[in-house]
Amino acid sequence: MPFSRPASTIPGPARTSRRGLLKTGLSLSAAAIAPTVIPGSALGLDGTIPPSERVVLGGIGIGNRGTYDLGCFLEQQDVQFTAICDVKENRRVGIKKMADEKYGNDSCAMYQDFRELLDRNDIDAVLIATGPNWHTTASVYAAKAGKDIYCEKPCSKNIAQSLLLRDTIRRTGRVFQAGTQRRNLPHFAFACELARTGRLGKMKRVYAHPAGMTASTSGWLPAENEPPKEVVDWNMYLGPAAWRPFNAKLLDGFNFEKGGGLVGGGVLEWGSHCVDLCQWAVNDCPPPVEYAPPVDGQIVCKYVDGVELIFREKDWIPLGSCPVRFEGEDGWVEAGDSGKLVLSSPELLAGRTVEEIGGYPATFHVRDFLDCVKTRGKPKGNADAACNAHIACHAANVALFLGRPVKFDNATNAFVDDVEANRLRSEALREPWRI
Amino acid sequence: MMLNTLFRRFILATALAASASLAIPSARAADGRNDLEKAAIAVLRSDAAEADKALACKQIAIFGSADAVPDLAALLDNEKLHSWARTGLEAIPGPEADGALRAAAATLSGNLLVGTINSLGVRKDAGALAVLTQRLADRDPDVASAAAVALGHLGTLPAISALKSALPRANGAVQSAIAEGCIYAAEELLAAGKASDAAALYDEVRKAPVPAQRKLEATRGAILARGDDAAPLLIEQLQSPEQSLFRLGLTTAREVKQGKCDAALVAELPKLPAARAALLLRALADRKSPAAVEALIAAAGKGGKETRLAALESLGAAGNAKALAVLLEGAVDADADLARAATASISSLSGTEVNSEIKKRLSNAQGKLLPMLLELVGQRRIDAIPPALAAVDSQDPATRAAALAALGNIVDVERLPVLVSQVVKPRDETDAANAKKALLTAAIRMPDREACSSAVVAPLSSAPAAAKQVLLETLGAVGGTKALTAVAAAAKNGDDAQKDVASRLLGEWMTPDAAPVLLDLSKTLAEDKYRGRAIRGFIRIARQFKLEQSERAKMALEAFSAAKTAAEKKLVLEVARRYPDMEMLKLAAKAGADDELKPESRIAAAAIVKKLPEESAEAYALAKGLGLEKVSLEIVKATYGSGDRQKDVTDVVRKNAGSLPLIYIAGNGFNAVFGGDPAPSAVKHLVIQYTIDGQPGEAMIEENGTIVLATP
Repeated sequence: MPFSRPASTIPGPARTSRRGLLKTGLSLSAAAIAPTVIPGSALGLDGTIPPSERVVLGGIGIGNRGTYDLGCFLEQQDVQFTAICDVKENRRVGIKKMADEKYGNDSCAMYQDFRELLDRNDIDAVLIATGPNWHTTASVYAAKAGKDIYCEKPCSKNIAQSLLLRDTIRRTGRVFQAGTQRRNLPHFAFACELARTGRLGKMKRVYAHPAGMTASTSGWLPAENEPPKEVVDWNMYLGPAAWRPFNAKLLDGFNFEKGGGLVGGGVLEWGSHCVDLCQWAVNDCPPPVEYAPPVDGQIVCKYVDGVELIFREKDWIPLGSCPVRFEGEDGWVEAGDSGKLVLSSPELLAGRTVEEIGGYPATFHVRDFLDCVKTRGKPKGNADAACNAHIACHAANVALFLGRPVKFDNATNAFVDDVEANRLRSEALREPWRI
Repeated sequence: MMLNTLFRRFILATALAASASLAIPSARAADGRNDLEKAAIAVLRSDAAEADKALACKQIAIFGSADAVPDLAALLDNEKLHSWARTGLEAIPGPEADGALRAAAATLSGNLLVGTINSLGVRKDAGALAVLTQRLADRDPDVASAAAVALGHLGTLPAISALKSALPRANGAVQSAIAEGCIYAAEELLAAGKASDAAALYDEVRKAPVPAQRKLEATRGAILARGDDAAPLLIEQLQSPEQSLFRLGLTTAREVKQGKCDAALVAELPKLPAARAALLLRALADRKSPAAVEALIAAAGKGGKETRLAALESLGAAGNAKALAVLLEGAVDADADLARAATASISSLSGTEVNSEIKKRLSNAQGKLLPMLLELVGQRRIDAIPPALAAVDSQDPATRAAALAALGNIVDVERLPVLVSQVVKPRDETDAANAKKALLTAAIRMPDREACSSAVVAPLSSAPAAAKQVLLETLGAVGGTKALTAVAAAAKNGDDAQKDVASRLLGEWMTPDAAPVLLDLSKTLAEDKYRGRAIRGFIRIARQFKLEQSERAKMALEAFSAAKTAAEKKLVLEVARRYPDMEMLKLAAKAGADDELKPESRIAAAAIVKKLPEESAEAYALAKGLGLEKVSLEIVKATYGSGDRQKDVTDVVRKNAGSLPLIYIAGNGFNAVFGGDPAPSAVKHLVIQYTIDGQPGEAMIEENGTIVLATP
């Protein structure tokens, strides 16, 4: 069945000027046509994927992590990467080179304003790896433009953004995959399955490792001379973040405005992975309703049924980064990035051979996303799941920030009788951005 | 104010350790909040730097009241601080903040106006109707669009009326924004229980000449708002020639509530082209309703490959015991894709009824079905030991392989000898490999490992050489007393092949009870290869296992005495360095008498002295014996890198410096301990400026070299 291209309409403030395609010299319509000479392989004559079945992909903010993700996409035969947008020139050029070398042509278009990339009707999906500051905003714009989205984590800066992102994905009918690739790794999936299906007995506790529980934020550094807009577009880099002067040290998108100028650090950075797995272990139920501030390296949270979610900094079995542990009345399991599992009893393996894949590759997660783009199913790291996990992290950060327990009501998405905590649920987006 | 300073640190850039003193007290009195607010307002009114005013805005966003509104409002025309101010205004409850934003919305222009309108939308300020309606007609499309979306968030009837009236007249981006506003308003209506009003508004948008994505959103809303009557509109999308609408139908088919829609969706299946029907089957699988599962079962058994494949793949997650028959049929299908899909689905079918059904069918199974059912028995851990045991004697190699694999997963300790005998006397090489795997799988899951070891040890003396190795490997995986005794005996008295396997297994033993065995072997084995394994295995236990410190120190001493090579002794010094106490320091001092061990002894001694709980004259005397005299050491500055690519590492070096002129920093090389490589591919040095007993000195140490500071 032909894979259709959704019509594009970019909501939100219009651009005062269109920078158009940079350097390629192609017009928008011309850029939609990839190779000038169409080889037999493009027609599917040699068993490869015909263009009609390919997912045409654009990249927004592709730095270190994004380049890795993009590599996973490029491995897939049914992906055609066709455009890169980045506010940094060196990255635009680098990614174009990577894509052009892959395809043996000069077709990858470059943009400085992601809305121009989203304007392209030929693009089905986008990879967003801008850094946390832009994740929700860019995802919402992409969804409203009819694009499916693979977005790196943390996906949101606060509770309000988590909910808005979830609602936007539902409303627009888009496929959304958070960059929580561990959901598609066999040993983590198996550990979650043990918990979810009752094989550990009634669940008591799930543990997440927020490496660096307390954290720094990006802040406001002394003003430096702004580089030319073509080299780094500081205004677009700031995007929805409140204004501050240019300083080159802030150009690390990975660390910029994580947690929305509050904390964020380990609780959000790692929590968006390991709390996400804990959430899966408890069947992706709504996030905990009680959060206590850290005591002896632990933040203890409670779900409505009494199961505890514990952010724990130490006492992990050495199984690599991002470990999780699930404890039930009849057993426990612990897993980490080494690809290995430790079980309270080998009986829990129940005849299964669990493939050990270390190093947390994203290939399977990317494949899950692409399959869902075609079936319109929900990928493992869907927006609903990501929303719950992120709310748990943000709420834990609020308890950490306020230094006292807070209670959260999942029906109202508000803290209970707690004005200060509720005011930490959101912050204004810098104009003109709106989600 | 102290709290203000702390707050600023928290918000703006400084890494913090979590502690109660840094966090804002939970039970702060209202007066305390007032103080914070007053201080923040004072900052806003002063000529403080922009950074301070930004912080004040954020502080007010959390603790401020209406008192702060005028000062925040005064920043709304400030391009740099505008959104900082709006963060405060969006958060402060009450009419004052609404009023300030409305007033600004009447006077500002451009992006600042857009931001202000956005904030009115966030606050859902019904009182902003007039100004938003006015701005809906603004000539600036950005402003008009913002107003449209904000009106949608208001969701009131007058706001809806304004949007509806503007919808047909607008075009381009503004029309898209009006549609977006209408959709938000429809959501508000739906949430308020006004489903028919919501459906009507959605219908109005989807029938208007709005952009395609807005139509999709309105169509989805219109379907969901119809509740039990959603089927016709949903089916219309599935039949649409437009792919985007069809795909929206697939998404929405997963969302509509169960009931009438299920029957309609199932009835639609035969009317759709195969490719579409296959996608709808996957959507039905996600619904998991009884009607959907029945449809999947039906589609899995007949029809074209595309729909059968979709149904077979989907039944794994959505199906139940009723699906087993069709899946088993599919699993032996001549088409490899269908067979693979069916097999995968059977293994993930949930429910105990499924297991009963598989067991029942196993008794009469023949041909291809028998190995498949055996495979399922193993995968699903179904208690079907007798038929699996019987199948071990089958003439069919595939059946024997499946039976052995199944037994690996289900056999109990009483019948474990069956697998052991398959290892000892296999029919052929393939069976030998399968039996080995099965025995290992079975052995490691046995709850009583001593009983398990008895069964494995029994034929050990009489088994052929190849089988002996497998049995030893199995014992190594099982562990426990009997296994340890048997493996130790093989290491001591076996032939060369047995010694090789057994010494390797003991070197990796997972419990510290292997320590005496390893120490004994390290003293008695003649072959250097196996003796070396034994002593290293013993040192490994001292290094890695949880032990009492006195026990560990004793083991370190024993190991040092038993070690024959410098490399082995250096491993012992590593244990001493990791677990510092006076006994370990004495060991390091003793080792230092050997010139070949002196560098490692000095490092160990420096690390130990630094970590001792209290200063000790005896400790310094031992260190002095290694040429490390107690000094008064101050680290002035430390940098690491090459040329102009330098990293300040003063804090790390300072933290690890003690009272000896040798600094040990635990970690995997300088790049790791100093937080990254400051100059990849370049030759790097660590340069330390310091004082010893008040005299300044400087040391330049090669990458990963020993940090020794000369007395100036």
